Amino acid sequence: MAFNEEQIRRYARHIILPEVGAKGQEKLANARVLVVGAGGLGSPSLLYLTAAGVGTIGVIDDDVVDLSNLQRQVVHPTSRIGVPKVESAALTLAEVNPNVRVIRHHARLDAENALMLFKDYDLIADGSDNFPTRFLVNDACYFAQKPLVTAAILRFDGQLATFRAYEEGNHPCYRCIFREPPPPGSVPNCAEGGVFGAVAGVMGTIQATEVVKELLGIGQSLDGHMLIYDGLEGSFRKIAITRDRACPLCGENPTIHGIEASSEAACAG
Amino acid sequence: MKITLKFYTTLKDYLPEGTKDNAAEIEVEDGASVQSVVERQGVPTNMIHMTLVNGAYVTPGDFASHTLKDGDTLAMWPPLAGG
Repeated sequence: MAFNEEQIRRYARHIILPEVGAKGQEKLANARVLVVGAGGLGSPSLLYLTAAGVGTIGVIDDDVVDLSNLQRQVVHPTSRIGVPKVESAALTLAEVNPNVRVIRHHARLDAENALMLFKDYDLIADGSDNFPTRFLVNDACYFAQKPLVTAAILRFDGQLATFRAYEEGNHPCYRCIFREPPPPGSVPNCAEGGVFGAVAGVMGTIQATEVVKELLGIGQSLDGHMLIYDGLEGSFRKIAITRDRACPLCGENPTIHGIEASSEAACAG
Repeated sequence: MKITLKFYTTLKDYLPEGTKDNAAEIEVEDGASVQSVVERQGVPTNMIHMTLVNGAYVTPGDFASHTLKDGDTLAMWPPLAGG
């Protein structure tokens, strides 16, 4: 596609980067990314992906904007309390960059819709707020052969990783480091445990950075690594992780052969 | 021998009582394994997501065989799912 003058000026600071250039910007314009969750992580992630000119952005969330979200979910203004998050996000994103097509999925991701939905996108960015969804996203990305950039936050801490476990070789998945969802109630969610608002901004923005890097194929991928942020200490750690040969999904003798099984496992957890 | 425990987020509850912030130096018997320290601190294994000894990743399957040395730092994170 050829960019018009407005688009060339809009993306000028990208196009001037040798790692992006006009070709890279065109790649972004043709890319399709699905963001799971329009919350604390999804907000900065969606804003930066939209500003960057990712051509088609899907967003799935079944929730509505609540007053308690606004301390960190910066894509939603106060005036949209009670509005579905996907609607609210789409309205904000249209203001940020009208060149981007935002597809709203006002639904909860489940075993029924995950694979159908994922096949329409090049990459999945997970910013969901619960373990069953995170395991489901991991398993569905594996079976749909889609790269996954996943981020999570709680209190002052953040974790982020990229997974391409469907590739041959040392490409771990989420289950390689964490087999099963922890028992319900054993790990607090943000509502129970609290979350420092700007930590969502830190991790969601790095998530957007990694998504754009994956789309462009530049720099070092976080595939095979976990990035850990300690907000109280003000420090990052990048840890090399490996495929677990005993992984029930991507190991040598997998016991999970489909998305239904993973959903059951998630619910049983 | 002495080792340093660094427990993050919700795992802080399993540090010795009176610990300030998230790090504590504890006395363990020579050659103690990661598993024995986990058990001693009463950390449920399904609450452990990432484990590093002196910055190197240790898989859950290696907890029993990975022995610690004097001065080691054992860091552990719970799984996070907030978004």
